[in-house]
Amino acid sequence: MALIRGRDRGTGAAIFTASMADIVFLLIVFFVLTYKVEVDKTQMKLPETWIRKKIPEKAAVISIAPPDRGSTIRVSTGEEMALPVSTIEEVITFASTEVAKNPNREFILKADKNAPYDRVDEVLDALKQSKVKYIFLLSEQLTAAEK
Amino acid sequence: MNIKKKDIASEIFTGSMADISFLLIIYFMITSAFSATRGLDFALPEETDTPEIKQEDAIEVHVMPGGAIEVDKKGLPKDGLLPYVLEKLQQNPDKPVILRTDPDATYGDMISIFDLLRRANEEWTDDLGNPMYKDVNGDPLVEIKTISIPTQREIENIWNLLGMG
Repeated sequence: MALIRGRDRGTGAAIFTASMADIVFLLIVFFVLTYKVEVDKTQMKLPETWIRKKIPEKAAVISIAPPDRGSTIRVSTGEEMALPVSTIEEVITFASTEVAKNPNREFILKADKNAPYDRVDEVLDALKQSKVKYIFLLSEQLTAAEK
Repeated sequence: MNIKKKDIASEIFTGSMADISFLLIIYFMITSAFSATRGLDFALPEETDTPEIKQEDAIEVHVMPGGAIEVDKKGLPKDGLLPYVLEKLQQNPDKPVILRTDPDATYGDMISIFDLLRRANEEWTDDLGNPMYKDVNGDPLVEIKTISIPTQREIENIWNLLGMG
């Protein structure tokens, strides 16, 4: 019997990459649409609430860090990175300036759930003194089981 | 003279497109934040239209350290808060709720009670949004109209006005 000896045919083990460009562009479009720079990067555990309303974009942000980070207060106009403030008077000055520019300016209070309430109280009082009208208390979703 | 026209290859170089695309993806992944974009809204009263709230006309909720609550100076489990408020509002639907928090409590303690009070609308209406309860005037009772969160300074001011400071 005649044997035809040929070269071993290699099995094609190529990865199909034709759709890679589509996937990559889809991901880029997704990130471009959902892109939002976080003006305050303080790591914290937000309190959980069942009622959660959409927070307006570009609202001014006031954050209160966890107690193990000194409950530091940071402020941001919503467009620039948050900067720490050392006294509550600086919060009043900041909020008053923002309200002077826009009387209906919204403020986001981003505070750690373990932050002492007297610290939060100081900030709320500063916002009230600055004639702020709308505050949003940033929170995570409370699950039905925790409800 | 015979001049030969040179063909210029007119193609766009796409070899680096994949690199650029991946670089963009990595950039957006790192800088974009899947941050919380929702929370509890809270409107502060304007001084011009703030009605004077008398303590005896209001339901006073005091949040203690650890999250326990006292309602009108009596200890109450959290589950009992909304039924208590409902009973009071059925008599007087305009009764405001004053939410006071102990300075030694945490922000989480306060916000869980504030969230509970805001949930009244959900608890007092059926699945279709129809009111389940009526007040003494026969009007539907679907929410707590006023939830006030006085600050420590405001409380001290009231005490000073009353000569208790």
